Amino acid sequence: MAETRHAHPPYLLIWLYLFVLTVAEIALAFELPFSRNVKLILLLLLALWKAFLVAMFFMHLKFEKWNLRLIAIVPLPLALILVLAVITEHVW
Amino acid sequence: MAHATATVDVMRPPAPAERGVDVYNLKLGMWVFLASEVMFFTALIGSYIVLRFGASPNPWAQPGKVLSIQITAFNTFLLICSSVSMVKAYASIADGNVKLMKVWLLVTILCGATFVGIQVYEYTHLIHHGFQPSGFREGSELAELAAADPVKYGAATAGLYGSTFFTMTGFHGFHVTCGVISMTYVFIRALRGKYSQQDHRGIEVIGLYWHFVDLVWIILFTIVYLI
Amino acid sequence: MSSIAAAAPAVHAHHDDRSFIRKYIFSTDHKIIGIQFLFVSLFFLFLGGLLAMQIRWQLGYPGRPMPGGGILPETMAPGGVILPEYYIQLVTMHGTFMVFFAIMPLLVGVFANYLIPLKIGAHDMAFPRINMWSFWSAFTGGLVMFASLFVPEGAARAGWTMYAPLSARHDLSGAGLGQELWSISIVLLGLSSILGSLNYITTIINNRTPGMTWFRLPLSVWALFITAILGLLALPVLSGAAIMLLFEQILGTHFFDPAAGGQVLLWQHLFWFFGHPEVYILILPAMGMVSDIVANGSRKPIFGYHSMVFALVGIGFLGWVVWGHHMFMSGMNPTLGSTFMVTTMIISVPSAIKVFNWMGTMWRGNLRFHVPMLNAIGFVAMFVIGGLSGVFMAATPVDMPIHDTYFIVAHIHYVLFGGSLFALFGAITFWYPNMFGKMMNERWGKIHFWLTMLFFNLTFFPMHILGMGGHMRRIYDPTQYNFLKPYQPMNTFITIAAFALFASQLIFALNFILSLKWGKKAPLNPWEDNGLEWTLPTPPPHGNWDRPPTVYRGPYEYSAPQVAEDYLPQTKKLPTDREPAAAPVAGH
Repeated sequence: MAETRHAHPPYLLIWLYLFVLTVAEIALAFELPFSRNVKLILLLLLALWKAFLVAMFFMHLKFEKWNLRLIAIVPLPLALILVLAVITEHVW
Repeated sequence: MAHATATVDVMRPPAPAERGVDVYNLKLGMWVFLASEVMFFTALIGSYIVLRFGASPNPWAQPGKVLSIQITAFNTFLLICSSVSMVKAYASIADGNVKLMKVWLLVTILCGATFVGIQVYEYTHLIHHGFQPSGFREGSELAELAAADPVKYGAATAGLYGSTFFTMTGFHGFHVTCGVISMTYVFIRALRGKYSQQDHRGIEVIGLYWHFVDLVWIILFTIVYLI
Repeated sequence: MSSIAAAAPAVHAHHDDRSFIRKYIFSTDHKIIGIQFLFVSLFFLFLGGLLAMQIRWQLGYPGRPMPGGGILPETMAPGGVILPEYYIQLVTMHGTFMVFFAIMPLLVGVFANYLIPLKIGAHDMAFPRINMWSFWSAFTGGLVMFASLFVPEGAARAGWTMYAPLSARHDLSGAGLGQELWSISIVLLGLSSILGSLNYITTIINNRTPGMTWFRLPLSVWALFITAILGLLALPVLSGAAIMLLFEQILGTHFFDPAAGGQVLLWQHLFWFFGHPEVYILILPAMGMVSDIVANGSRKPIFGYHSMVFALVGIGFLGWVVWGHHMFMSGMNPTLGSTFMVTTMIISVPSAIKVFNWMGTMWRGNLRFHVPMLNAIGFVAMFVIGGLSGVFMAATPVDMPIHDTYFIVAHIHYVLFGGSLFALFGAITFWYPNMFGKMMNERWGKIHFWLTMLFFNLTFFPMHILGMGGHMRRIYDPTQYNFLKPYQPMNTFITIAAFALFASQLIFALNFILSLKWGKKAPLNPWEDNGLEWTLPTPPPHGNWDRPPTVYRGPYEYSAPQVAEDYLPQTKKLPTDREPAAAPVAGH
């Protein structure tokens, strides 16, 4: 039997979700009157939210074992360390 | 120890073996590969972030001035749709519907190929107007616009803008192209009846790759085109 | 009491009707791929050595015509006198070939490929065809790098670390195509490494034979596993950086161009973010194999097996946050620098734990000083010296005067030659019978070891002194500085020792090559080792086992009281052993 049988997640609903978030992003970037820094943070959050949805539902990570999730997650702190460390070069 | 019988379940981890991560090798391998891909894009995207941060107080070109948002917003929509069709293809074969899987897979390939086509069009359009990896080409339309309004067009950081834009989107496009080619190969195998409810590893695994490519684009679209 | 020694393994070779090309050229068999890596890498090791001899000639006898230098082109060495433009290529390409095409593939390409499936009881790697592509990608990269030596303007010349803007701009370096080929070659090598790593990781996680739990894995496999994770995540960053460098060279991008807002230090950060995990890739497999060999040569279990594993994991973990110690003098943010100083000091701890554990293993052991054991002990001793100089360099204020001097060169060579290469001499000798069914000559192996140990120390120890005296790296003619003139006799001494060192390696080369044909036929388990690979014929057949073996114990049960022999293989079933927990549902 194939791996843990469960009902498929609601893919079309997720698609709708992603569509709405994308429209929200574009509206935020061009129409809404927030300051640059606020826009930056909100846009990043929206992008990460979308990425999270794709990873959790389309790539099935929500339903996988913790050790497979670990493999997917491990590069992220490394990426963060590299970028944050190198950004401090500018700050000083 | 008994040999594996005729009803070997290939969608399970290899056996007999000690317990690993409870997924078959191809799936584990693809996730491990995707971890390396995250690091590759980190180098490119991380450099972009660092360079853009470090460029201040020189202004970066404002969103939508050099790059076309309409085309790329449509492209983003297309790629997200292709991710949905890919996962529908996987769901179909997991439920045993080979025919529907082939239809969704074809839809995915067409969306992906269109994405690449639109990107190629975008590139030729940009280069024609004077935007290239080294910045704004001298004497080009963009160079003149930038000279007239250096803040809006980020004249002082045009070199960095071009370098980072073409490298990031170029390599993403390269990965999309590889994905389209791989999916075409998988599609041909599907036509030959190689996939079934009992063995659809190839579908699941190419799906993971495709979703990853979509995920990278979600990040890129935001930080390259919208910020 | 069971007699393990002479029982032939009950294994039937798979019926093997592949063509010669599929069997030995485009092979997907991990053992053949490992041996392919071995031959190609030994060639590059030799090439790197030749380049080093030329460097030493110039340093020992500056400006004098080199014997045999007549074959070099007039633009590089007119009349055999090495020009500065050529010298800087020698220095760059020596480092490049040695790091990327000799030591790394020798440790990983050879031994990860050869040992992993055998030591965990698998038929082959999880993805045999990807394994094949991994080899051919590295081979092509090597070919491209080799070709770069012969292009009209010469090879890359910005040091193996390729700092921008020197590496990016043709007008600064004088090198065009050679520099670009370097970048392309590195991208190909990166691909090879990534493909290999994903194979090793998947195989070790998913394909361990029943009974081979994580804490029964030999330390060589643990080390190769951690190495693979480092490689998987570090090489892509190098590939990305190399691509950016290539674009800088051919597309006119401005990543590292300060005049257009680029950052020179960006290259250094990207390179060393890869570069530091890389040096752990260059030492961890050696440490792992040395553990196996030291336990075997001491006829004792490894002292502190669990702490050895945690030390490996700790090194792998900390190795990601120390990269800035290569950049203390770059003008980087000082606060960032201090952070790196602290993390670098901390990382010496797990390495020290390993050294104490090797010593603890040998303590009161029934020592067998066979050639692999001699080399393994040599590794430990030389690695301690290399590690100690590392502590000096970790302290930022101390690093300030010694950065970019011969002190660093001494450190590099104590860990890479004194460490990795001695381990390799031991490992190649140890697994040679398994690979080729023959033994290398014991007497010449011992002569090689002692000569190498002598001349290695005579060559590289004085470099610590040179460095502290201010003798800088990559310098063409030290005599142009008055303060360096007193050191010139030391330079000449080092050169002569280096020539003797190189000559001594011919002993190993001959031993290796001639034993292939005339070596003593290897008995079934010549080192009386516990590893799974020794339960098979030497060499093992394609597919290794007919049926996966069962493992009943850990890898270092030497001098175990349950049996008469002083070794107890992992797969030997004793009456008191239980079968491992039921295997999961049958699958592929």
